[in-house]
Amino acid sequence: MKNILDLRFIIGAFFAVVGIVLIGYALISRSADGHQMNMYGGAVYLVFGLLMLILWFFFPSRIQE
Amino acid sequence: MKLHFIDYLIIALYFAFVIGIGFLIRRKVKSSNDFLMSGRSIPLWIASLAFISANLGAQEVIGMAASGAKYGIMTSHFYWLGAIPAMVFLGIFMMPFYYGSQARSVPEYLAKRYDEKTRAFNAITFAVMTIFSSGISLYALAKLFEVILGWSFELSIYLAAGIVLIYTFLGGLTSAVYNEVLQFFLIVLGIAPLVVIGIYEAGGWHGVVSRLPDSMTHAWKYMGSAQDNPMGVDVWSLALGLGFVLSFGYWCTDFLVVQRAMVARNMASAEKTPLIAAFPKMFMPFVVILPGLIAIALMHTPGSHYQLPYKPDGVTLDYDMALPSLLAHDYPRGLLGVGLTALFASFMSGMAGNVTAFNTVWTYDIYQSYIQRNKPDKHYLHVGRVATVFGILASIATAYLARSFNNIMDFLQLVFGFVNAPLFATFFLGMFWKRTTGHGAFWGLIGGTLAAACTHGLTLAEGKGGWLGANLHTFHSTMGQNFVIAIVAFTTCFLLTAIISLFTRAHPEQQLVGLVYSLTPKPNAGHLAWYQKPTTLAVIVLVLVLLLNLIFM
Repeated sequence: MKNILDLRFIIGAFFAVVGIVLIGYALISRSADGHQMNMYGGAVYLVFGLLMLILWFFFPSRIQE
Repeated sequence: MKLHFIDYLIIALYFAFVIGIGFLIRRKVKSSNDFLMSGRSIPLWIASLAFISANLGAQEVIGMAASGAKYGIMTSHFYWLGAIPAMVFLGIFMMPFYYGSQARSVPEYLAKRYDEKTRAFNAITFAVMTIFSSGISLYALAKLFEVILGWSFELSIYLAAGIVLIYTFLGGLTSAVYNEVLQFFLIVLGIAPLVVIGIYEAGGWHGVVSRLPDSMTHAWKYMGSAQDNPMGVDVWSLALGLGFVLSFGYWCTDFLVVQRAMVARNMASAEKTPLIAAFPKMFMPFVVILPGLIAIALMHTPGSHYQLPYKPDGVTLDYDMALPSLLAHDYPRGLLGVGLTALFASFMSGMAGNVTAFNTVWTYDIYQSYIQRNKPDKHYLHVGRVATVFGILASIATAYLARSFNNIMDFLQLVFGFVNAPLFATFFLGMFWKRTTGHGAFWGLIGGTLAAACTHGLTLAEGKGGWLGANLHTFHSTMGQNFVIAIVAFTTCFLLTAIISLFTRAHPEQQLVGLVYSLTPKPNAGHLAWYQKPTTLAVIVLVLVLLLNLIFM
């Protein structure tokens, strides 16, 4: 089982969730001001979060050392 | 500024994660060493980011944006001159002694190198300072959120203090360090889009520069005389006061930051922690200072409709509002929640850093050393937890104190300078001159602190100081005055320590192995690849920071 105490998992999960929330909000509020900014910002957070999760999943110890 | 459901949702998500970290880490805490020292098991990259995050508190994030708006790129001196060289010195020269001596704290190193009275002096002053720093951070948070969000002072204080209490009480230092790293990414990724949007709105980088006075866009050009630059300091007091005494005093001896390197897994990691941390640190001005410059540039950008708020007098610009007002101006709801969460994170990061440093010094350097020795480890784990609760409660009390007496914040910042500046002389002599004695160190510290107080009492700057009834000199700014106070404190401590040491008995040399440079075997980095050697990292860091200075000359 993967170590969920690995900080990359925690950071990755947080930013992925924030990214999804922002993208979701941008999609349901297309007419609102700044929805594009939320879309781009959310995408950046989601990509960063996924990157951290990939590092956590595929490189369990080497990077953390 | 009005928040919406989506903003509250993001803030609530962040709170859930930081508290969750506390609950996750709790399972790992089995001893006082786990709680107060993270079991010395923190990986290098985490220790490095926590090292700069512990310093990335509210005063840094809000204060540097404010200074950026007031002084411009000159504010970067606090990083490129006032932090990076000291971090390199810490990594190359001082960490081997801190880590190699197996001391659990900076005061404990002083006990090993000098004596108990020097440790007690440092431990007590540090414990008091951390509580006040934490309280000031809490006060600043509550005040800011009262102004920009209309939240009640009490709500902000108890919410922030309650969350910090939960995760530090459960997971101790590991929990604080993990949260500091999360907070680091949140602050960078939460504020960086603001810089991009702001520069775009001002018409690109050239648009920003063209709308600012020339003195705000150069770091060194106007440093020739104190009258020529908005900071009111000349190059010598800047280089000696900030670049040497204050920065080395803070980065090399303040347990709050040094603790993050001391909990690394091994000596090599401990040495590299401040060096690796120097890379993101040197680029932090682009995240925390640039918003201040952008705010001023936007005020002069046609069609931007941005105005930096005024203070209640209606005349003076309120520079402290540069970052919050820019967030409100440029971020839509949603992204605004992320930006405000970053501000919350910076306040909580500063507070948690102070509280975890306080509980370690209280437990190991005061309680275990002078109140209850030789108790089972469980007892000290319990004391560490109680100290955490006490630290938070005392911080809340300090926040209310700061609210009642506005001037207390200025006064405390000044006292911190009195205490920190001479401390570097004590460490410098102790690490590099084997003849330095405990009596010399102790009286040097007292003398340096008193000299700092006298200098403040005998000089004036912007109406401050001069409380001894005479005025020997008037400075162009309080910043210039503070730099000179630091130089006087350091020099007095250095000379007093050296003179008294010559007339008192030094420790036998065999007791100083591992504590003094000339008596300690040097770490052998010969087996490491060139790019892994601390000296290589140090050279790269210094070259990069030199380049940044040249680019923004």
